Amino acid sequence: MFQRILIANRGEIALRVIRTAREMGIECVTVFSEADAHSLHTRMGHVAVPLGGRLPSESYLVADKILKAAKETGAQAIHPGYGFLSENAAFARAVVDAGLAWIGPPPHAIEVMGDKIESRRAMLAAGVPLVPGLTDPVADADAAVAAAKGIGYPIMIKAAAGGGGKGIRIVRDPGEMKSAFRTASGEAQSAFGDGRLYLERYLDEPRHIEVQVMFDQHGGAVHYGERECSIQRRHQKLLEESPGPIVDAELRAQMGEVALRAGRAVGYQGAGTVEFLYSKGEFFFLEMNTRLQVEHPITEMVTGVDLVRDQLEVAAGRPLARTQDEITWRGHAIEVRINAEDVNAGFLPATGTIRNLRLPGGPWVRVDSCMYRGLEVGLNYDPMLAKIIVWGEDRATAIERMRRALEELNVGGVRTSAPAALAVLAEPAFRAGEYTTHFLEALDLKGRVGAQERLVAAISAVHRRAMASRRALGADAGDRRGWQARSRAALSDHVRLATNPGGQA
Amino acid sequence: MKYFVEINGRPHEVELTERLGVLSVKVDGEPLDLAYSEVDGLGQFFVLSEGRSYAVSIDGEASELGVTIAGALYDVHIEDERERAAGAAERAAAKQGGLVKSVMPGVVVEICVEVGQEVEAGQPLLILEAMKMQNELVAPHGGRIQSIHAQAGQAVAMGAKLIQIASLEAPE
Repeated sequence: MFQRILIANRGEIALRVIRTAREMGIECVTVFSEADAHSLHTRMGHVAVPLGGRLPSESYLVADKILKAAKETGAQAIHPGYGFLSENAAFARAVVDAGLAWIGPPPHAIEVMGDKIESRRAMLAAGVPLVPGLTDPVADADAAVAAAKGIGYPIMIKAAAGGGGKGIRIVRDPGEMKSAFRTASGEAQSAFGDGRLYLERYLDEPRHIEVQVMFDQHGGAVHYGERECSIQRRHQKLLEESPGPIVDAELRAQMGEVALRAGRAVGYQGAGTVEFLYSKGEFFFLEMNTRLQVEHPITEMVTGVDLVRDQLEVAAGRPLARTQDEITWRGHAIEVRINAEDVNAGFLPATGTIRNLRLPGGPWVRVDSCMYRGLEVGLNYDPMLAKIIVWGEDRATAIERMRRALEELNVGGVRTSAPAALAVLAEPAFRAGEYTTHFLEALDLKGRVGAQERLVAAISAVHRRAMASRRALGADAGDRRGWQARSRAALSDHVRLATNPGGQA
Repeated sequence: MKYFVEINGRPHEVELTERLGVLSVKVDGEPLDLAYSEVDGLGQFFVLSEGRSYAVSIDGEASELGVTIAGALYDVHIEDERERAAGAAERAAAKQGGLVKSVMPGVVVEICVEVGQEVEAGQPLLILEAMKMQNELVAPHGGRIQSIHAQAGQAVAMGAKLIQIASLEAPE
């Protein structure tokens, strides 16, 4: 097993990997940008290496800086987390060429699965069911309109190099094609440096169900069952659950078998997720995410398996610790993503400094978070701040537990997606397990009547009066002190970065 | 003292009266029993009302507050009588003219129109990128582009003035 690994990521996922590594007695090298000098992941590893730069393109996305950090600290392997370089085949290859272990699938598998068009070809050959669509990218909007006739509307435009909901548009009639094509292409170009787009049919009553798989280097492979991820908005997931409310043992075995077939077709190793679109009894291959997923904890909760430990063991060359028959599922798990978003303003990105933080606790509540008091939430990084994960002996218990946990949570200073998740949990259709990927977008979240409106009105007035009288009494320094403290912090930040770039070990 | 409180867009009137150091509260004319205390100076409060306890969080300053009770977020706009009078005049002024403001902090990727160009309602005006997502901002109504206050590549704050559209019917 490795003695020391480098985690080429930030935020909650870097912490997630650190935690398992610490439990296994493995030391962690963390890397951080200037903006992350005080981040939890920077502080919680064994060795912290500054990458410099504030933007991802100046730090976490610079392969050379990360490889240099690994070399200098003697890390034997690199865990990429999710996002950033995790699905970058060139980086994976560079890691392997540098004589380090890559805690992820072989570069070739990333390449094939990362290209929507190539992966469709590979899946077709392996007999994995696919959504009707084109296997080649379209040249322009006019060609897209022509091709759309053969596929049928509604049509989904997707970036060939896509992921994370970027470069995706739904077109319901030919008139919308031009503007959708242009924005999707621009988005794909700026996000991935590749503006190629392809088309496919948009399915009715679709549910997004994905299967967690794990392959070792010796031909061993298992699946850990499914996660239902249909509660999403603009293809960004908000809430996930496992098992899927409509998945029975037979469908699970069937989807698991297809997922393993998909992985085998590209010579997969390590942890991966095969995403399917389920529609009226059928399921189709959507894509394979060649990394650990954000929502992996719900699988861990129902299987009792630490997926990061599996990843590390497999990457170190060990065979899988368990056979398919030894994997069992117990109870129900739900995850809610706490994103910096203003739900009342239509999920617009929210920014601010976290001032007042209260995290939920209690039985079967897990919090994977990168939040701390003083964290400045800006626009440079992914808006996900935390994940709340709960387990219950059945789905109804898990739903009530999640509601309770979200009621306990408070993130002051930055608006979050938590109220939207609470609204979802209260919806009868969700509680019945009857929902599709359109559920969240169709949910009217604006102007909801809260049960405590009169009380809130009274509290607001009393609060306003208390603040005003405090100012009048001259004990107002609250505001000004805050401002001074912030500017001092910014200054000391600068000094620390200039003179002690090593951070704390 | 009277306060005009708008919660998620719905109006309420709160009257606070202090007599011999005791504050009495009326919401929409009905008395409400309320005790409020600050917990940590960071935004957590403890409230007792009508025999029940509430862990309350309050964010924001002056007239725009975010109040959270049991995970439910209430967007609060609060004005006293003087501010209400001033606010009414401002709102009347803002109704005229079509000013397109940035709906979020982000970076302007592309401006799709020019000064003097006629636009129809729904026509894309500019593309704004935030969190790596590109969003088209469209004309709220038809008219002529009067002025453009941003350029491609510029970072803009939420609420920043972007484009002014003049109504075609209105005399220039």
